[in-house]
Parts: sequence; C-alpha cells; structure tokens
Amino acid sequence: MKMATDNSAVIRRNRPGAKAEMWCNWPVESFEEMDSTLAVQQFIQQTIRNDFSNIEAILTPPDGQDEGVWKYEHLRQFCMELNGLAVKLQGECNPETCTQMTATEQWIFLCAAHKTPKECPAIDYTRHTLDGAACLLNSNKYFPSRVSIKESSVAKLGSVCRRVYRIFSHAYFHHRTLFDEYENETALCKRFTSFVMKYSLMSKDNLIVPILEDQQALEGESEA
Amino acid sequence: MIDEGPGSFQGGQGGQVVTGSLGMVTKPQQDEGQRAQYSMPGILHFLQTEWARFEMERSQWEVERAELQARIAFLQGERKGQENLKQDLVRRIKMLEFALKQERAKYHKLKYGSDFSQEDIKPPIFEKKPEDEIIETERVNSPNSNASWRQGRQLLRQYLQEIGYTDTIIDVRSARVRNLLGLQPRTDNDGEGAQPALVNGEGLNKRSIDMGKARQGKKGPASLMEGALMDSEASVLATFDFLASEGVADDEDENLSDENEDGMAADDEAEERLEKSRPKIKIAGIESMAGMEDVDAEEALAEFDFLVNEASESGEGAGEARSHGDSPDWAKKDPNEEWGVDQQLISKLKEEYKKDRKGKKASVPGSAPGQFSGGSSRKRIEEDSIEAAIGVGLGELADLTVNNDADPMNYDISAPKEVFRKTWNAKYTLRSHFDGVRALAFHPEEPVLITGSEDHTLKLWNLQKTVPAKKAASLDVEPVYTFRAHVGSVLCLAVSPSGEQCYSGGVDATIRCWNIPNSNIDPYDSFDTNVLADTMIAHTDAVWGLSIHPSKMQLLSCSADGTVRLWSPGSKSPLLNTFTVDNEDGVPTAVDFVRCDPSQMVASYTSSNTYLFDIETSKEIVKLETKQNSESTINNQINRVVNHPTLPVSITAHEDRHIRFFDMNTGKMIHSMVAHLDAVTSLAVDPNGLYLLSGSHDCSIRLWNLDSKTCVQEITAHRKKFDESIHDVAFHPTKQYLASAGADALAKVFV
Repeated sequence: MKMATDNSAVIRRNRPGAKAEMWCNWPVESFEEMDSTLAVQQFIQQTIRNDFSNIEAILTPPDGQDEGVWKYEHLRQFCMELNGLAVKLQGECNPETCTQMTATEQWIFLCAAHKTPKECPAIDYTRHTLDGAACLLNSNKYFPSRVSIKESSVAKLGSVCRRVYRIFSHAYFHHRTLFDEYENETALCKRFTSFVMKYSLMSKDNLIVPILEDQQALEGESEA
Repeated sequence: MIDEGPGSFQGGQGGQVVTGSLGMVTKPQQDEGQRAQYSMPGILHFLQTEWARFEMERSQWEVERAELQARIAFLQGERKGQENLKQDLVRRIKMLEFALKQERAKYHKLKYGSDFSQEDIKPPIFEKKPEDEIIETERVNSPNSNASWRQGRQLLRQYLQEIGYTDTIIDVRSARVRNLLGLQPRTDNDGEGAQPALVNGEGLNKRSIDMGKARQGKKGPASLMEGALMDSEASVLATFDFLASEGVADDEDENLSDENEDGMAADDEAEERLEKSRPKIKIAGIESMAGMEDVDAEEALAEFDFLVNEASESGEGAGEARSHGDSPDWAKKDPNEEWGVDQQLISKLKEEYKKDRKGKKASVPGSAPGQFSGGSSRKRIEEDSIEAAIGVGLGELADLTVNNDADPMNYDISAPKEVFRKTWNAKYTLRSHFDGVRALAFHPEEPVLITGSEDHTLKLWNLQKTVPAKKAASLDVEPVYTFRAHVGSVLCLAVSPSGEQCYSGGVDATIRCWNIPNSNIDPYDSFDTNVLADTMIAHTDAVWGLSIHPSKMQLLSCSADGTVRLWSPGSKSPLLNTFTVDNEDGVPTAVDFVRCDPSQMVASYTSSNTYLFDIETSKEIVKLETKQNSESTINNQINRVVNHPTLPVSITAHEDRHIRFFDMNTGKMIHSMVAHLDAVTSLAVDPNGLYLLSGSHDCSIRLWNLDSKTCVQEITAHRKKFDESIHDVAFHPTKQYLASAGADALAKVFV
C-alpha cells in the first residue's frame, strides 16, 4: 500500500478472505490509468462487470486501441466465459444422448483437435474445442505477446470463432433451457454474435442462433 | 628381406661350399672351430648385406616414427584448438551472463531506485590460461630456442618432402586447424576470407625453397588479420544483436512491465556501444583488434592472442599455426646428426628471420617489440591496449579487468557462490489459462503440477510433455487435462499425499474433489465423469484456503464465511468439524496443519490475528502475536500462513510487506522482516525446511535462507493485472522444482 500513488489510494486487489460478493468489486479505473500490459483485458472485464448486458459498451474499444489486440482479448474472454456454458453442458449433455456435434440437422461437426478430425460426441467436441482454443490463444508461437499481435495470427481468430460458435448453436438447439438460463446470466451469445458481426469474423450464414433483433427480424421475414 | 639376406649369402657362396666341403673332408678335426668354409669375401659380403638391411629397416622405422610424431603433433594441435574454442565459448557465456546481470541491476535500479542488493554483481573473472600459453610460446620464440626450433622445422620439412608428404597436406592441415578454431573468415567476406588462406599457403610453399618469399608470408597474415578483424567485428555485432534481443526476451520472459520501452533501451544502448567501438577500430590499426573488445572483450582478447601468434608464426614463415605450441617438444628432439644439417643455412634462416622481424616491427609496432624483449613486454603491451580499449569503449563494463598476473588463486573465482548453492532459473512456462492463476500444487513425486485459475478451471500439467519454444531458454508446456466444474474463480488447491486426488476451493463456496487423471493421458480424450469425485458443500462464501493432512485423509478449509472446516473427503458425511473463534471479527484467510504435530492447525485472519487450534478439541490453544500494536487503520491482513516442516515455527505473509516468524509454543514472534516491495501473498517452505519461498504483488518471488533469514535469490516472475501480480508459490515435495502462479494467467516452473 505504500506503493499506491497519492492520487489513487485504491488498490484493486482480491485479498484472501474477501467475500464472493466483493470479488473484483472495486472502483472503475479509466483505461488511460491502466498502466499494465494487460490493460485491454482489465478494461474488457471491468466493462462487463459494470453491465454485462450493455453489449455496445463492451464492444467499444478505447481510443487508439489496436484492433488485433482488441479482438484477441475479447476472444480470450469469450472462451473463458464459455467454460461456464461447458460446465452446465457437462451436467446435461452426455455422450449417449448427443453422440455427435450437431446444431440443425444440416451439419455434423468434426472435432479438429485430433490428428484426423473425429466425430466426437457433443460434450467432447465442446471440451476439446475450448481446450484447443486455450492452447492456440496462449500459444507462444502465434500469440507471443498480448500487447501486439502479428497480422498472420489475427487471421487465426476467425477459425476459433467459427468453432466455439458451434457450442452456442448446439446448446441452443439441443439444450434450450440451459442455453436460456446461461444467456440470461451472461448475454454471452448475444455479445459473441455482435462481436463476430462487428469485426466480420464469421459469415452471417453461419450465425444460426437467432439471438439479435435484426437476426430475428430476418428470420421472421424469411418465414413470412 | 630377412629371407633374402641369408639367401643371397648362400647363393654367393655357392662355389665355396664345394671347396669347403672338400676341405672338411680332408681336415675335419682341425678346422672345425675356425669354420674354414667362411671365406673373408663371403663374410664381408654378408656384413654388407646385413648392414644394408639394417639401414633400410632403420630408415623405415624413422619414417614410421616421424609419421607418428606428425600425427601426434596434429592431434595435439587439434586438441589445443578445441580447448581454445571451449575457452572462448565459456568466456562468451560469462560475458553474456554478466551483461544480463547488469541489465537486470539497471532495470531494478530504474524501477525501484534502490540498488540490487542481494546478489553481488561481479564481472566475471576469466581464467588466465591464454596468457600462460603466450608465455610458453614466447619462450619458444625467443632467439635462443628459436634457432633449434627453426632447424627442426626445416629438417622436418625436408624429410617430409623426401617421403612425399607434400606441402599441400600441411596446408590442408593448418587450414583445418584454423577452421576448428573458427578463425577462418567465412561467407560474409568471401574475397577477403579466401585470400588469406591462399596467400598464407603460398608463403608456406615457397618458404623452404626461397627465403625471399618469407615476406609474402607476412602479407598473408596481414590480410588474415583483416579478415579476422571483419569476422570478429561481425561477431561483435552479432553479440550486440543478441544482447539487444536478450534484453527484449528477458523483458518478456521476466515480465518486466514496460516491454517496449525497455527493449528499445537495450537496443539503443547496443547501438551506442557500437558507435563507441567503431572509431576505435579506425584509428588504432592493428592494435584496434584489442580495441574492438567492447562488450565482447574476452572474445576479442582470444582473437588477439591468436593473431599475435599468427604474426610471430608468419615472421618465421610458418603457416602451420596451431601445432606450434606443442610441436617444439618433438621438433627439438629431432637430432641434428641424423642428417647432415647445414648450420650455415640455419644461421642464414635466423638472419632472415630477424630481418623479417625488424621489417615487421616498423609496420606493426604494437606487437613486434615483444618478440625481441621477451614475453613480459609483449604481455604488457597487450594489457595496455586492452585496458585502453576497455577504458574507452566499455562503459559500465569498465571495471572488468584482465589480470595478467596469472595468479593461480584467481582461477576459481569466476564461479562465485553458485558452487555452494543452487541458482533457480525459469525453465517451463505454463500458458493456457485465460485469467490469473490463483493456486498451484505439485504432485508428491512426479514432475506434474496442477494450477487453479480465475478462469474457473484447473489444469493438469506434465513437465515432461513440453512443446519446443521459440526461445531455447524456457520450454512451453501444454496442459494434459482441464478440470471444469467451478462456477467461479478457483482460489486454492491441495494435492493428496498419494498424488491420486486433488481438492480445489473457489469463489463459488464449493470444495471439489478430483481424481487426478494419468499425467500421460491424451489431452483430447473423451469426457470422464469420474474425474470429479465429489463436491463438498458447507461453506457459504468463497473458500480461500485448503490444507491437507500429511498422512490421514483429512482436509482443512477456510472461507470468507468466517469458518474453518475439517473434512474427510470420500466419506459419506465429509464434514467433520467446524472451527470458529469467539470475538474474532476477521475472517480466515489461510490455514495449515502443524507439520510436526498434525493434531494441531494454524489459521490466520484478515484481522491479522493467527490462532493455533487443537483439532481434537476444536479449541484454540495459542494466539500468535501476529497482531502488532499496529499502525491501526491500515489493512494489515495476513495473506498466508505456513508451518515449518519440522520445527514448531509458523511463518506469516502480511499485506504490509512483512514476513514474520512465530514460535508456536509460546506464540512469541521470533523474527520480522520487510520481505518485499509490496504485499506478500504467498509462502512455501522447501521439504527440507532450509529455504522459504515468498511471492508478492511486487512481481517478484524471493528465496530466503531460513537459517540466516537472508534473501538468496530474487526472480521477477509475473506481470501485474490491476494491482495483483503473484498469487501463489510452491516447492515440489521431492524434486528440484519450484513454481509461481501469476495474475498474468501464467504459471512458471523453475529448476
């Protein structure tokens, strides 16, 4: 605490013994004042904590923010929060009922985590995809730094998005109550959809979960 | 040949055999002792043939002997070459280590404004071996011994020519030796590089025939020196690059905060140094070879030595550089009388050589005088020029002295305290968590560890399954298993003494019991629901601390709900007991079994109180005097309490940067120290109870000698996220590993 500068006596720290409700419950710090190399992650998490449903605010980068890093840090956050959905799915989605990774009947997704892509059961697909994404996004080869990201590595983000989106779509089409419950708690799918559309990381045809209003409107039109 | 001798003898005596036998018939008794059948011419003939045979054999042996000696000399030269190479590399390593230490110290100074105290930075002191070699060489080179040396060489050369050992072979040999030494200039300056070898070789070829050509031999080394100069300049440049990138790499790895700024600084500095060294090269002519030794002083020194050798060699007109140091041994033994040696020729050679030297002296004042006045003066000159060079170009390395008083006592100082204690270095980087790593624990025997993170997962890592990393210094490890079940950050972790189960507590108030999968499992195996063995629910708030009984299946937990609980994982009703303290308004932050008496446990509180409990009676026995008559208002909570593995000592980590030691029997404080620049978050005692490891939000982990309570090593390990940096540290219970867990989502393992 002696380290704290005079103008900000606030120390943003989760000390041992802190109550769960006090977790990260500290005054907002402006992006300019964040001097750590993990400022972008801090900023994203802080904005989410403020109001997870305010997707526009969450997806608005601070001025002058490098877009590659911004997209990268958001994707890290998505994969991290998808762990929560995976935990829920572990309780409900078992290999007997969901033998394949499907959303609509149209496609069976093959798990890319293996040497030769495999028809993993949905829960394995979910876990493997998240594990694979964690390894890729933390890879020293592709993402050695969190303050600047190579152009070639930014290209990798699209494929990660496509794969993890299938977890949303599977949950939506096969475990709807679970999906709704989770969506109410986090608005994660909505945020993810807005994110990939904003940065054109996935083609609209692949966004099969009708979560955004304009998506639903489109759906309505096509049905009508 | 052996058969032939007697054969010819008998053949030659063919006619006499008849007479001999005739005589034998006539006077058998009388001539028996005299062997009348051996006529005088026969004997002479026999002796002649025998003599001829012996002579032939002798010359053959001579040939063989010389061949073997040449071979010995060559191998010795090769060995010497390898040794030089080794020394050079060792010097480079030491230089780099030193430079790195300097950078660290500087960074430390810049960042904290205080001196880097716990580790004395000493410039590496190098072995004086090369100097000794020079002295040896010089003894050989001094005029007296030089004559016999040259004589020997000449003889050898003649001899080799006789037996058809052409000069080209010698050239090839010397080229090879030079190549071994890495002196041969390569690629960058092809023209330059190829020429010296050629010219040198030419000088060598002509030398024995035409003494006038010796000058050309001098020309060779001159351009060779040039080549070597270019070469070593390039290597100096390369070293700068390396140092600069080292600066960046170090920065990244060690999590110094201002990545770019620091990297830039390193770059700038390297450039600055380069600029300093450049003009030096321009002005100083050949001497500037010593002047180049900026950062890479020692390397250049080695090269300088070598070049001086080369120069003296060329004066003699001999290109065969490396066998030089060794060959006198046998060259001197070459007896002159074996072949009639023209002494006049030798003295002529000597004169030629001296003349040559004088010519050289004019052109190369820096190195020549030493050739005449003996070893010491050259040594002095060398020293001077080196010191001058250091003084001008070395900047902060200026205090790196090259001590020429080859004092044998100096030899071992190069590795100061490292011999006596281990220095830990980051070896594995565990990246795969998306958010801060809150806890880590090692497997009791295997090189396996488990981490728990704010990303709600735990991961299992096998240190033997590494991914080759970009930088050779540290290895990346990918997790073999991800434990998912917590619905909030994982805060604490404990592994059972058997290594089969682990337990994790989190913000979600649950304690999860896991069956640890095999550490060689396929990371993308199918989901096994048996990994999560049990979920123990009783706490009503975040679980912040766990401690496992060293032998019984018992687990202690402490939670923000204000309770400490004792569990028996795996049984039907796992909760055994709940501990609370009357009149305690803080909540427990950490808990630990007393290692020397596991029927007791210690729990620390946010109120900075610490209590010793009897587990049987669930009563507090002693209140440790952890709460100082404090500066009141400031939060001085205890973040961690650990107990010594064998002594009744509790160690506490405080938010006010202190680590304090308490006697459990009396509750009195034994020792208190400001251990870090920011809050101390975590503690671990090594299995032998000799060292304490502490982690702090000041981004560093520190290793303490428990006996002297002094810091023996500090490692900057993690970056900050908000105001947090390091959450946990651990020792491997049986192997030489230690680990740190950081808010930057990384865990690191040190060996």
